[in-house]
Amino acid sequence: MGKYVIKRLLRGAVSAIIVVLIVMVLIYSLLDRNKIFSGDPAYNHTASNTRTTYEYSRWESYGYVDYVPYADYLRDLVKAGEIDAETQKAAASLGRKPERDSELTAEYTAKFREYYESKGYEVIRLDADTKKNGQIKSGGNPALFATKDVPLIQRAIKYFTEMFQIDNIHYVPEENDIGERGLTFTLYDPMYGGEKFSPAIMGNGTRHKYLLYFDHQFPYFHQNFLTINLGESYTVNKGVDVFTTMTETQGSYVLSTITFPTGVTLERADDLHTATYVEGSRDSIASNAERFTDDYTNVRTINKGMSRMGYSFVIGIISTILAYVLGLPIGLLMSRHKEGLLDKIGTIYIMFIIAVPSLAYIFLFKAIGGSVFKLPTLFDLDSGSKLMYVLPIVSLTLPQLANLMKWMRRYMIDQMNSDYVKFARSGGLSETEIFSKHIWKNAMIPLVHGIPGSIIAAMVGAIITERVYVVPGAGNLLTTAINRYDNAVIVGVTFFYAVLSVISIILGDILMATVDPRISFSTKDR
Amino acid sequence: MDHDLSQYGMSEEKLFSFHTHSDLESEVITAPRYSYWQSVFRVFFRNKVNIAILALLVFVVAFAYAYPALTHYDPFANLMDPESKHLGPAGAMQYFGADLKWILGTGASGESTFDAIWNGSRISISLAFLCAAINMTVGVCIGAVWGFSKKVDMIMMEVYNIVGNVPTILIISVMAMLFAPTFWTMVFALTITGWLFIAYQIRIQVVIIRDREYNLASRCLGTSTIKIAMKNILPFMTSVIVTLLATEIPSYISYEVFLSYIGMGMKDMSLGRLIYAAEGAMITPGWEMEFWSPVAITAIITVVLYVVGQNLGDASDPRTHM
Repeated sequence: MGKYVIKRLLRGAVSAIIVVLIVMVLIYSLLDRNKIFSGDPAYNHTASNTRTTYEYSRWESYGYVDYVPYADYLRDLVKAGEIDAETQKAAASLGRKPERDSELTAEYTAKFREYYESKGYEVIRLDADTKKNGQIKSGGNPALFATKDVPLIQRAIKYFTEMFQIDNIHYVPEENDIGERGLTFTLYDPMYGGEKFSPAIMGNGTRHKYLLYFDHQFPYFHQNFLTINLGESYTVNKGVDVFTTMTETQGSYVLSTITFPTGVTLERADDLHTATYVEGSRDSIASNAERFTDDYTNVRTINKGMSRMGYSFVIGIISTILAYVLGLPIGLLMSRHKEGLLDKIGTIYIMFIIAVPSLAYIFLFKAIGGSVFKLPTLFDLDSGSKLMYVLPIVSLTLPQLANLMKWMRRYMIDQMNSDYVKFARSGGLSETEIFSKHIWKNAMIPLVHGIPGSIIAAMVGAIITERVYVVPGAGNLLTTAINRYDNAVIVGVTFFYAVLSVISIILGDILMATVDPRISFSTKDR
Repeated sequence: MDHDLSQYGMSEEKLFSFHTHSDLESEVITAPRYSYWQSVFRVFFRNKVNIAILALLVFVVAFAYAYPALTHYDPFANLMDPESKHLGPAGAMQYFGADLKWILGTGASGESTFDAIWNGSRISISLAFLCAAINMTVGVCIGAVWGFSKKVDMIMMEVYNIVGNVPTILIISVMAMLFAPTFWTMVFALTITGWLFIAYQIRIQVVIIRDREYNLASRCLGTSTIKIAMKNILPFMTSVIVTLLATEIPSYISYEVFLSYIGMGMKDMSLGRLIYAAEGAMITPGWEMEFWSPVAITAIITVVLYVVGQNLGDASDPRTHM
């Protein structure tokens, strides 16, 4: 069994990787990359050469190309200590045309060209865009840059190698003086004043200040040694990873009195346990210098609401449980009294749900729930009312319920004609006994397979339901990302979905094999 | 025992004569004449509800094609007339005069909701029929091969695991961005991977009946694989295919509505586009008609298609022909 599961998991991993490759081809190679500018107001304010450089810098942000302006190259040279600031300044001024460059500029542009062309980049020089009277048009300044399309394989390798990041004490660049690097283990977390018992591991030189800690937020125990990096968002949730976007809390801030490391106490919603390193942040922002004793200043906030995945999961899991609790007995009764009144009503209901577009009946239930039962039809993050969950849950339960009823009835009826039922009946068992002890158990086996799948699907969220009731869940993430051309999020979400679907099928098989001893996956047992 | 033979009114020779034995005739098996499709329709039409629903389906489809063809529909004809916008049925009749086209009132640009719905229905129904035809043809052919050949099965299962995990919405939106979001793009986007799921369903059915005893016997007698597929397996599959078709056709209409709702549908004013465009009208008092009438028509079309298909599927199962 174990060997079989590992084999399945490996095959699943391979197919998830291929899915990511396909998606990368779809969005990076097939799509017209100019589309990203269609909704960009800043784009229309640019003209001439500035527009071209703006395009390339955007494409770099969206992950299409690698883009190096000449100025960046010179800055790197200064950092490396090859030239001084004065030379940099003189070499940076480009002439209107290559022929009109100063000697120094010509020397460094040639070096730039040689260096990047040897690395496979395309070096582009834009001449000054002048008016008839010789003046430079607005945005028509000359430009020089190197650019290269990121090849698919390189992109994919980078994506998968950077997916799991293990925090280490060499995260902060070696030249930064941050005192002694290392991990410290403490039984008394300084966050709680250093007196309360609360074990924690803190790091210096690592990305996260706290690598292991306890707090009063679900799941109470947190670690930062291993972070999952599915892709950094650019437009949907700028600069934040897809996984974090799905799991971070939302809504209004929860303010509390916080004692910062310097001893300053303020009414803030910051979660100091989440502090990450930002180079030079105390020098650039005065408020950071007041509050923090080191450069671990980037903190997340504590918000009132749940995360996207949290909302999706709460709604999804309740509706899944409801569907199983209601659907299985109803399906059983329908099969037991076949052609009876309940069976007929149930069949009409199943037909209605399958045939009518989901959008239509969700709107119907929204209208009925809103006007007849006076339930809230829109989700409000800051409202503490539990009633707003009712309609999304109902809307999600209905189709699942119909599906379970349909299959339960089908499998029950199939089992009712088998020989073992006739044998049980001839042995004198009552119909109730036959149904509840024999048929029911056999009919459940194929349905058990779907349980892990529906639990995992609850996490992913439902697109229409969440959109209709404005639930801030995870279901809309993919469509939002597609609409806003957030390529990294599209790749990240797709990979996440693919992994979940592979896992749910494997879990379903394992659960089915556990429930039914006749099913075995290893060839030896057979 | 003496019988009065005269009561039969026939001569003794006629009543009792020798019959010659024919070897050829004794080999013939007499059975009632059985025609598969005749029986399908006999069973289908035995239920009076089916006749009514089929008539409704024919009417709806015919109307969706005939009405837009016979009337001229210009959504922007009343664009400049502010008085004509968002009128209820009574208001529209009063404003434009009594006519069938004003029976559902007017929409956001003063267009007739009734006309808009039937134009939309025509596009949606065409899309559904076309996609179903392509996907079913390709799916059934490939599914049959998939089920028969173990080598193909191995490859196709991996393809299914991979392609099944690429979100369909992503494929459709990429197609819509690659080519303009037109009717044909939508057909292409819905069929490029859609056949795979049908082929998978067919594959399961083929695998189930492939190794049955009668097929084994056929193979032992030297019947070619193609003949087994055509004569032994395909008839068994007819009801499965019809039932699958019954869920497929309405599902494309629903899916198109869903795509339009999330803003990834086509440009043409299909039913989905109409619902999407009128979403705001749902909560505006007096404008509800604009939203609910396309929803209702969509529901009617899909339900009718589904019921006819399901019942035809039931009727095409030979076990119901007794």
